[in-house]
Amino acid sequence: MSEALISVRSLCKWYGAWCALDHVSLEVRAGSCTVLCGPSGSGKSTLLRCLNGLEEWEAGDVIIGGCPVARRARDLRRLRREVGMVFQSFNLFPHLDALANVTIAPRVVGRQRRADAERAGMALLARVGLADQARKLPADLSGGQQQRVAIARALAMAPRALLFDEPTSALDPESIKEVLDIMVELAESGTTMVVVTHEMGFARHVAHNVIFMDRGRIVEAADPASFFKAPASERARAFLGEIGATPVA
Amino acid sequence: MSAGTLSGPSIPRRLARQTGSLLAVTIRHPFSLLVSLVLLYAAWIVGEGVVSWGIVHATFLAEDRSSCDPAGACWAFIVNRLPQFAFGFYPEQERWRALLVVLAPPSLMLLAVVPEFRGRRVIMVTGFGLYPFLAFMLLAGGLPGLPEVSTEKWGGLTLTMIVGMSAFVLSFPLAIVLALARTSGLPALRLVAAGFIEFWRGLPLVAILFMSVIMLPLFLPPDVEAPRLSLALAGITFYSASYLAEVVRGGLQGIGRGQYEAAGALGFGFWNMQGYVVMPQALRSVVPAIVNTAIALFKDTTYVMVVGLFDLLNIVVAGLSDAHWVGLAAEGYIFVGVIYWTICFGMSRMSARFEQRDKPNRPAENTLGMSR
Ligand SMILES: Nc1ncnc2c1ncn2[C@@H]1O[C@H](COP(=O)(O)OP(=O)(O)OP(=O)(O)O)[C@@H](O)[C@H]1O
Ligand SMILES: [Mg+2]
Repeated sequence: MSEALISVRSLCKWYGAWCALDHVSLEVRAGSCTVLCGPSGSGKSTLLRCLNGLEEWEAGDVIIGGCPVARRARDLRRLRREVGMVFQSFNLFPHLDALANVTIAPRVVGRQRRADAERAGMALLARVGLADQARKLPADLSGGQQQRVAIARALAMAPRALLFDEPTSALDPESIKEVLDIMVELAESGTTMVVVTHEMGFARHVAHNVIFMDRGRIVEAADPASFFKAPASERARAFLGEIGATPVA
Repeated sequence: MSAGTLSGPSIPRRLARQTGSLLAVTIRHPFSLLVSLVLLYAAWIVGEGVVSWGIVHATFLAEDRSSCDPAGACWAFIVNRLPQFAFGFYPEQERWRALLVVLAPPSLMLLAVVPEFRGRRVIMVTGFGLYPFLAFMLLAGGLPGLPEVSTEKWGGLTLTMIVGMSAFVLSFPLAIVLALARTSGLPALRLVAAGFIEFWRGLPLVAILFMSVIMLPLFLPPDVEAPRLSLALAGITFYSASYLAEVVRGGLQGIGRGQYEAAGALGFGFWNMQGYVVMPQALRSVVPAIVNTAIALFKDTTYVMVVGLFDLLNIVVAGLSDAHWVGLAAEGYIFVGVIYWTICFGMSRMSARFEQRDKPNRPAENTLGMSR
């Protein structure tokens, strides 16, 4: 068993009086795929955003690869480079074509030469099946294609882990499959991933761990087989029933 | 208008596209035809008068007013004084320097209109960015091979060009910093930026010019003697920056939170994020407003006459009181008007070309809605 790439210890975050994360602890092993699920407002996005320093927290530790992350701006920026993020609304840069979206961070943040960055960028676009769309602007791509460019963009910084916040929620069924196929391929090739999703099929068949959150707490953390067969908590059972994933194997 | 119009009424439509919709409307509506004819007649009467006065009966070469045909315009006044209108009192054998300063901005603008080529943007940005400094050095001289020419001698279109261009170029970075400060998370920064903007924007330019020429020297070390031109330029730059800052702020408001988060998640620091992600989008979305500000500023440079600088307008007006050419106000003002109009129209065409080329591409995120 490889050691934890990301560990979170007793993380607490408040929005004013509202406790969005309540003593959350978890470990993500290198090369594993973790699915976060739970009802709306349970703190999934907030937790994910703490993992790459987009959100600050009030107490607790985030430890990446053995190094605790201080809440100083410089540390947060380093954290962000090491942990990539894919958003529900893609957030591609609309003024740059697909290839430039992928290469801008390696060139500007990673100080790579243009030619090197573009060679690597083309390879990444090919990996997500978009080599022929490299010169298109985001507005001229379908939702599924945009999300695949966004995945390639996140991969371009060679992050140690990749976070996905509901990557398929804004897509039509066909595009969902395109994007999920890429994510399955990434998981199978050993990318460390934390995925917030309502795609229980993905959780069941691809994830190594499933974490169920409610009201800012981790209610249940288990391997998918046992989670889907027999959720330990009443709330997880209710949640699975609601989204139509019956706890029958 | 769909399939049915493809064959029949497509001729007026095509005409409309080619010659303006006026003609197509005319063909379809007899009453419009009548109106058009009346308008054409009116245009002919006016136009004929203008052509006869301005060209047919005009005198282009003459020694003084009395040798001009009184039935037409006396353009000889302009022709005789053209070097002075263009270069002010700049020494004759050094005028090539002033000529370069006058021609550089239009040439750079032409670059915007020609077809895309590699490195064009770099040339344009560095060209405009360095213009204030290079033009100033070239005109002032004092380097080996370039005799010094005091700013008191600069004038005419040269002065207008250097004041208008420099104020705009110099105010641009200042405006970006002000806009960022005004939208920043730090209340102190916001307050300072808002104070600066409201102060300079709330004063009439004439007052600013007087203040900068009289009051700015009080803040300078006593042994430094700044020419009036530089003081006036500083005032105009602050004035322009405060307007431009608000335009830039408008552009910033159109940038969604997702863009900042995406750039942040890739490890961009503040200035890189601004330079590569935020500003390219924000500025592009307000190109028309920026050009609007630039045009207004260019015309506002005529106010430098109140502090005794001889810009194009002032030098032509001064020429009107010459005893040899007395009473030629119409010719003088028309000349000034045509020059200003041509330059401003050039700026407007340039911006139109920019808008055509990179239409702001709004991504799907706007229609999908943000996650919350
Ligand atoms: N900027 C904010 N200010 C105040 N409260 C916030 C803010 N962002 C999130 N919250 C609150 O924190 C809680 C957790 O939000 P979070 O976005 O993490 O939920 P989520 O599990 O991702 O939900 P969803 O499935 O709807 O995306 C919610 O109750 C939300 O109202
Ligand atoms: Mg969420």
